Amino acid sequence: MGFEDVLGSGKFMVTAEVSPPKGTDLSGVLAEVRQLHGLADAVNVTDNQRAVMRMSPLVLCHRLAETGFETIMHMTCRDRNRLALQSDLLAAHALGIHTVLAMSGDYPTMGDQPSTKPVFDLDSVQLLQLIEKMNNGFDFQDEPLAGHTSLCAGAAANPGARPLALQLLKLNKKVSAKARFIQTQAVFDAAVFNEFAGAIKNTGIPVIAGIIPLKSVRSARFMNAGIPGVTIPEDIMRRMETAADPVSEGLEIAAETIITIRQNCRGIHIMPVGGHGNTRRLLEMCGLD
Amino acid sequence: MIITRPKPIEEILTMLEKFPASPICVVGCGICARKIQTGGESQVSSMVSQLRRRGLDVLDGTMVHHACSAVSWNELNEEDPALAQAGILLVLSCGAGISLLGRISGKSVLPGLDTTSIGGALADDIFEGLCSMCGECDVGIFAGLCPKSGCPKSQVNGPCGGSSDGNCEVEERKCIWVRIFETLECRGMLDLLDDTRPPANHDRRL
Repeated sequence: MGFEDVLGSGKFMVTAEVSPPKGTDLSGVLAEVRQLHGLADAVNVTDNQRAVMRMSPLVLCHRLAETGFETIMHMTCRDRNRLALQSDLLAAHALGIHTVLAMSGDYPTMGDQPSTKPVFDLDSVQLLQLIEKMNNGFDFQDEPLAGHTSLCAGAAANPGARPLALQLLKLNKKVSAKARFIQTQAVFDAAVFNEFAGAIKNTGIPVIAGIIPLKSVRSARFMNAGIPGVTIPEDIMRRMETAADPVSEGLEIAAETIITIRQNCRGIHIMPVGGHGNTRRLLEMCGLD
Repeated sequence: MIITRPKPIEEILTMLEKFPASPICVVGCGICARKIQTGGESQVSSMVSQLRRRGLDVLDGTMVHHACSAVSWNELNEEDPALAQAGILLVLSCGAGISLLGRISGKSVLPGLDTTSIGGALADDIFEGLCSMCGECDVGIFAGLCPKSGCPKSQVNGPCGGSSDGNCEVEERKCIWVRIFETLECRGMLDLLDDTRPPANHDRRL
């Protein structure tokens, strides 16, 4: 079943995130994705995530599609102008990629090539509009394409960003630009997520909540300080600090979050630190395996 | 106002090594660079002293009224005929001033400053990056707070997902979108933000 069909089916969805390698060896990530067989409705493949240079997600998505995985290709506006965005969207369609997540992208100074020229020719709303146009058979300049794309486009959101009304302003523009689903930044505060979900319920857009199982208090502190848009509340930090087995505690926190928010979302998106070794266990803990 | 910052002296000295020995004149600019104290009288005088201490042949230090005006340069030459003896101008002005003098002075022109943005000044406070020179100004709908220059990602349809507690993910300051939102909310004009803004037109010939 394609991801678009899953979206329409009403099923509670599980998506899982992986990153292409920083190098040419795909064996590690392909082995990681094999662990997700039967667990994930789609695999998200990041696009120079956190502005760290990696292989193009086009290639990994294509390889995963060949092995029967449904993929969601991340596409940021940071590294490509509108010519390159259109080229890659055409390429994605030609390579059998059906779903794209349109994002602005983390700023280059956050990553490993900080002197890079930031592009941001389009923003995420304008990229969604462009995808819709190409699905209708036209390029940015309204010239007809020799073969249209058929891409299901999603968008990102950060439930914890404030003021919430300002987040909603942009989110409503994404919905108007035909975003078919939302995948959120990692949720650590269920109350904050539930408030966000309530505020966008009227749009009807399916929301897939981001989940990061914490592994240690050290990595939690790093995320709080170093990952844009991630906020881990102090009580979770304390639990991680005092836990005898921090990995299990992180999974427990993630499972509690999923159980608390699942009535208010259409699915969850697992973004583990350091691989999907515990993803099956997490899903079992919340009855989603 | 064009915002500039001084180049490190080592960079200037390395640059000067590439040019045949010739009398140097340090030229400050009487407008923006003077106001923000990167190319005023005291910075010119300090640069002259630093170069002389390193044994370089410095003819003089002088101020041109507007480095970006050919009329100002011609007036300066009339007032100070000794300038004709200079082979190298080390210019403490914005890139526009440096480039203009490069075109009209007939001398080797070297930059003493780096130009970073268009901004403004209020007493000692310098506001950097107030305009991105996009060629299609629509700042009116953003409460006069330009997101093209004020947001590192030039987001025109709302904030990116990276801000934390209303702060920019890139620079240590409030997100320009939070400022736009709060200002328009206060004025009861938030509906100005309802329409999706189109991508920029980078073809400035139109």
